[in-house]
Amino acid sequence: MNLRLKIAAAFLPLAAWPAAAQQQPPSPAPSALETLGAMRPTGSTAEWPEIPQTGAKADKVKENLKKVKLPAGFHISLYALVPDARHISVGPQGVATFVGTRKSKVWVVTDRSRGGVGDEVKEFAPTLPKKIPNGPCFSKDGFLYIAEQNRVLEYPAAEFFYESPDVVASVVVAEGELIPKSEESYNHTARVCRVGPDNKLYIQLGQPYNVPTKEKNELYRKLGIGGIIRMDRDGKNREVYAIGLRNPVGMDFNPKDRSLWTNDNQVDGMGDDQPPGELNRIASAGLDFGFPWYGGGKVRTNEYKTDTPPANVVFPQVEQAAHAADLGLIFYTGTMFPQKYRGAIFSAQHGSWNRTVPVGARLMVTFLKDDGQVAGKSEPFAEGWNENGYYLGRPVDVAQLADGSLLVSDDLVGALYRIWYDGK
Amino acid sequence: MSVVKLIAPAGLLLAGGSPSHAGDVKAGGAKAMMCQACHGLDGLSKTPDAPNIAGQIEPYLVMQMQAFKSGLRKNDAMSVVMPPLSDKDIEDLAAYFSAIEIKIVRVPGE
Repeated sequence: MNLRLKIAAAFLPLAAWPAAAQQQPPSPAPSALETLGAMRPTGSTAEWPEIPQTGAKADKVKENLKKVKLPAGFHISLYALVPDARHISVGPQGVATFVGTRKSKVWVVTDRSRGGVGDEVKEFAPTLPKKIPNGPCFSKDGFLYIAEQNRVLEYPAAEFFYESPDVVASVVVAEGELIPKSEESYNHTARVCRVGPDNKLYIQLGQPYNVPTKEKNELYRKLGIGGIIRMDRDGKNREVYAIGLRNPVGMDFNPKDRSLWTNDNQVDGMGDDQPPGELNRIASAGLDFGFPWYGGGKVRTNEYKTDTPPANVVFPQVEQAAHAADLGLIFYTGTMFPQKYRGAIFSAQHGSWNRTVPVGARLMVTFLKDDGQVAGKSEPFAEGWNENGYYLGRPVDVAQLADGSLLVSDDLVGALYRIWYDGK
Repeated sequence: MSVVKLIAPAGLLLAGGSPSHAGDVKAGGAKAMMCQACHGLDGLSKTPDAPNIAGQIEPYLVMQMQAFKSGLRKNDAMSVVMPPLSDKDIEDLAAYFSAIEIKIVRVPGE
C-alpha cells in the first residue's frame, strides 16, 4: 500500500467519508489496522485518559532523583511519568516524544507548557492493538516506525496525527513475518529500530535463548535473529546486516563515519562476574560478532566450547560489567553539553536481573578518538539508582531533545527523566 | 521490611499444624535481590513475562523452584537462576514471598 500518496490526498477530503462508512454492514468487521490504513475512523468512543503527572508518586520520584549523581554543572529532573517506559523516539519537529513499552501500549509525551516538562502523557494510537511495542524510531521526514514483537508499522506524520485516537498506520512487516511464528518468545523480544543514513530501516532481533542449540543457531543466522536486519522503509529488500549477537537492545549511527554501534547483552549462568557485556562497532554490512561461540568478549560458552568459531569474529570495542544490561544508546549531537561530550556515546545500563548483588542501573558515557575507535572504557555519567542492590530505578534508553538536553527512560519507575547542563 | 507481616494463629500451632517448610523470611528477603528485577521485592511482576508471587502459597513456590532447579520445568530465566540455589535458599525465598500480604480490592463483575 502506498500510504505516502494517500496521506497527501487525505488532507483534502477528511470530511467526506464518515457518512458512507457508517452505512456499511458490520460484517465482516475489518481490523482496526485495515480501517485506519484506509484512512477511516474506527468510531471508537473509549475513554482516552491522561496519565496524572502530580501526586505522591511524582513527589517520591523527584525525591529519589536527588540521590542521582552527575558531573558538575549537570542536573536531572522528572520529565514525565510514563508507565513501563522503554525506548524513546523524539519527533523531528520537537513537538512530541514517543515511548514504547514491553506490554501493549505506546505513550506519547507532549511538553504543552514548553517548559522542559512532558506535562501531557497519553496513549499513542489507542484504537490500534499492539504487541510488545518496545521500539519507536523516526525518519527525518517525520514517519514513525514502531517495531513490535513480530510486526513493524509505519505511522506517517505521527507528530500531526497523534492528537486523535485514530492514527493512520500502514504495514512495513506484517504480523508474523518479522520472525517465524514458531520462534516467538517473550525472552529477548524487545526490538529497537533506527532509520539509517542510507534511509533504510534497521531492526535489532534478539535470539530467544540463553544459548541456542546448534539447530536453532543455524536457522537464526540465516534470518538475522541474534543480529540486526535492514530493509527499505516499505519493508522490501530485507537483508541480514550483522550477525553473531545475542540480545542487542540499543543502537545508533555515528554521524561522523556512519558506523552503527550496538550494545549486546551476554550469557547468563556463568557466574556473577563473567562474561562481560559488549559495546560493538559495526563498520560495514556482514560482520559477525561471535555469539554463540563466544558468550561475551572472548569468553567461550560451555555449549560451544569445542566448536570452531567463524573466522573474522569482531570483538567488542568496550567490555562492560558482567550482566549490567547495557541497552539504549545515542551519539550526542547537541551543543548544550560541554565540548568533550559532543560526539560521545551516552548509553543506559538497565542493571542486572539475576546477579547476587545487582550491578548497573546508571547512564554511561563513552568517548571516541578522531579515528572513530573508543578512547577507553565507558564511564558512569549518572548513577544513584542502585542503592546497595535495591533499585530506585532502572534506566532503559536515552534520547536527545531539540535543545540538546537528554531524556532517560526508566521502566521500573515508569518515568522519563531530563538531564541538562547549565554549568552551575 | 514493613510490607511483610507474619500471622501465626496460636490455635493452629497448638493443634499441631506446624509449617512444613522451615524457610526464614528475613534471610529470604536478603536473597530476593536476585529476583527483584522480574518479580519485584514486593512480589509484584515487573516484566510482562514474570508472574506476581506476592502471597503465593509457600509449598507451591518451593515445588516450582525445585522443578526449575531439577529441569522438570523450563523457563529461560528461571532455568538459569535456580540450579545454583540450595534447598535452604529455596525455602527462604518461598517463605519471604509467601509472607507478603496481599488484598483483593475488586473482582470483575462484583
